Amino acid sequence: MSDPIGVRRPRLDGPQKASGQTRYAADFLVPGLLHARLVLSYEAHALVRRIDPGAALDLPGVVAVLVASDLPLAGAGSDRAAEPLAREEVVFAGQPVAMVVAETEAQAEDGAEAVVVEYEPLPAVIDLEQAMAPGAPLARRRSEKEETADLESIHAGSSAAAAAEDEEPVSANVLKRVRRQEGDVAEALAASEVVCSGTFRTAWVYQAYLEPQVATAWIDPDGTLVVSTSTQGAFVTRSELSRALGLPLDRVRVRPAPLGGAFGGKFALIEPLAAAAALALRRPVRLALTRSEDFAATNPAPAQIMDIRVGARRDGTLVALQARIVVDRGSNAGWGVEDTTSVLIAGLYRWQAYDIRAYAVQTNRFPFGAYRAPGAPPATFAIESVLDEVAQKLDLDPIELRLRNLVQEGDVSVNGKPFPELGARQCLERARQHPIWQRRRQLPADEGVGVALGYWPGGTEPAAALCRVDADGTLTVVTSAVDMTGTDTGFAVIAAAAFGLPPERVRVVSADTAFGPYAGASGGSKITYTVGRAVQRAAEAARRKLLEAAAEELEIAPSDLEVADGVVRAVGAPDRSITVEELARRTLRFGSRHEPIEGHGGSAQTSLAPSAAVHLAHVRVDRDTGEIELVDYAVVQDVGRALNPALVEGQMLGGAAQAIGWALYEELAHDEQGQLLTGSFLDYAIPTAERLPRIDTVIVEVPAPDGPFGAKGIGEAPVVAGPAAIANALARATGVRLRRLPMTAPRVWAALAA
Amino acid sequence: MRAEKTITTRLAVNGQPVAVEVEPRTLLVHALREGLDLTSVHIGCDTSQCGACTVLLDGRAVKSCSLLAVQAEGRAVMTVEGLAADGELHPIQRAFVEHHGLQCGFCTPGMILTSLDLLARHPRPDEKTVRRALRGNLCRCTGYQPIVDSVLAAAAELAKEGRR
Repeated sequence: MSDPIGVRRPRLDGPQKASGQTRYAADFLVPGLLHARLVLSYEAHALVRRIDPGAALDLPGVVAVLVASDLPLAGAGSDRAAEPLAREEVVFAGQPVAMVVAETEAQAEDGAEAVVVEYEPLPAVIDLEQAMAPGAPLARRRSEKEETADLESIHAGSSAAAAAEDEEPVSANVLKRVRRQEGDVAEALAASEVVCSGTFRTAWVYQAYLEPQVATAWIDPDGTLVVSTSTQGAFVTRSELSRALGLPLDRVRVRPAPLGGAFGGKFALIEPLAAAAALALRRPVRLALTRSEDFAATNPAPAQIMDIRVGARRDGTLVALQARIVVDRGSNAGWGVEDTTSVLIAGLYRWQAYDIRAYAVQTNRFPFGAYRAPGAPPATFAIESVLDEVAQKLDLDPIELRLRNLVQEGDVSVNGKPFPELGARQCLERARQHPIWQRRRQLPADEGVGVALGYWPGGTEPAAALCRVDADGTLTVVTSAVDMTGTDTGFAVIAAAAFGLPPERVRVVSADTAFGPYAGASGGSKITYTVGRAVQRAAEAARRKLLEAAAEELEIAPSDLEVADGVVRAVGAPDRSITVEELARRTLRFGSRHEPIEGHGGSAQTSLAPSAAVHLAHVRVDRDTGEIELVDYAVVQDVGRALNPALVEGQMLGGAAQAIGWALYEELAHDEQGQLLTGSFLDYAIPTAERLPRIDTVIVEVPAPDGPFGAKGIGEAPVVAGPAAIANALARATGVRLRRLPMTAPRVWAALAA
Repeated sequence: MRAEKTITTRLAVNGQPVAVEVEPRTLLVHALREGLDLTSVHIGCDTSQCGACTVLLDGRAVKSCSLLAVQAEGRAVMTVEGLAADGELHPIQRAFVEHHGLQCGFCTPGMILTSLDLLARHPRPDEKTVRRALRGNLCRCTGYQPIVDSVLAAAAELAKEGRR
């Protein structure tokens, strides 16, 4: 049988999607469905004084105007799941404060317009640096409990400011600090022959999935809350609903719908609203955000400010890294990217001494959320830009500088963990041979080529899968993984190869939380790596059952049998064979002596499979307008093993396009009062077909020891190094270095004019 | 604006005459989705920027959020549901599948219909022309390149078949 691994083949869901048959979360017909529309706060920080349904309840079709106290919420917590409608305090402009439910969407919208909310404004904390300065007003009032705890710790002499002598004093808007230290960085910098430094700023960036967030909730006759939703994770959404609504897990059923894009932004954000409304009204409720609401009220990637200083020896050996990272959490107090971004800012390089600090700061902006490789593009923009300056100062080839200092397998990362084997070296070497790099010295004026290396560490989470052979001899793979990137198409190939069927005879179905095997949320580049591994083992388990049945039918020991192309054969005696289809028929019938040909498989990897990617950007700069034109572009990525090169390239191309968006166009900007200035696709520019160059993709394969057939998770790595590569290209083209994203034409023009 | 009475709008959708009850304010996109259950017509924005709701109106690509349903009275609307003939995908649909011109698929119906409009006017466009034609249709997954390749492949295929 020809090996199905590594063959370019179309996505399984392609024909359905191309013919409009795919039903996304907003497309299902639900009898008796009501529609919800949110009333969003226009204040960035305020107390809610009064919510007046006004004339809303008198409007045709309006069923209810719901406020926080109307929802069956479990109670504690100020995160979005626990407090889906503001109780007393609004902490960002766009925060939902009320929900109007009506018979039609248009009627719900009429109702929402009629609701009047009175606010008592509080100081809006918008500027990130001011927010963390001692004495800054708080972006969220502190509870009495927190105030008491503060007083106690001050009395006990352990206030945050006194915790470490060399820690800078900060305001109570700082939610978390991270520090990673090794050696004496001051001494190492003093001893360095070359030191480069800078302050790098990145903007709030929106995931801009094409399908706005949407969820539908209803109560089944047995009392189970069912939520059909556009989510990246079935089980995580169930847990969040259970926590928010105080329901036992078995009373909540989450059914993920085909995902119209997500990129990190769809992790149980609006489901509690739809679910609480359905529970309150005992009728099915759909909440479909408009794009404007999705811009204003969801969870984009945060702004970061990074001060970074790098010391090197004249021979190009990197010596010292000092970094201070400030991450804008916005109104998300629950979790952040500080742990990740403070690791990624060290790049894939050996450091003799480092001192990295990261601060999480709350402001009156959106609750920050994940976006493809959270924290990685900003951190990599900073380190890879500074490294380029080091290379320029030393008159050293930037690829050579990186190669000389690259970590090796077993080197300890700044998080204390050893690096596994990874293909960064191979990527850099392939990039060095690429035509874009080769021609970098023969360019006209105002053109330049930049390079940058980035990586994503990957993720792990235990996962399970089922494989079942049906009476027609086809194999069905069941997982609860949400297909965000084409993973189902990958599962089909994995199962086909592990079982011994052509991929065309494998079907992949998604289960829901009521009966599906466990899978973590689709994020962290872990689905192919973890669930794919489980699928492989499930197919192998089913294959063992198949061989047992075949052994009995053929009267040959299982160890003397092989499976290929849907036929079980005696090794060395191919005429003694039976098809999978025939075996299935003899198995799945009344009185058969064979167990069903099914397998269950699980995975729980303990090793990560980092994916590295090099970006090469060739730019032409228009000095009159400041516009950066991308003349040519390439991504070179280590993917472990390309199960389906076409889909791998799709991730690389899409990741590069988003990287270009980070670099040149995208910024969620607020004014001083916290009003969103770029809240539509009119003002917030994502790359269009016309603005993007052709992008070359180069696949490097350094197999992951514990991945299915060597595959790694590859979705996040290709976005990471893009902004740095373009900034480096701009510097080479013009001699001007921008340390702030996005590098819009006006900013480039101003820098050139300065 | 409230409690308005509905109007019966008659139009041809995917070759079939239909009548749909709409409010005067109802946008064509809502009439197609809610009134006729044509859910390939996706809603990706509320400012007519994204192109996910693109349909062919008398053969020309229009964003169906940019006109009222009543404005389609007596006209012919085509959605991707109407492209496949006897279960056989139209060559442009096939090209999007085979050339990996779709990932999440949300922009795909709009991309396909905008491309058909282009190919009707420019049967053999170059890459630049395709990119310009697609500038009003946003995609966040693919980086557009496989979409552009799909359109170019469809153009070649349609030319070979003598179709447009």
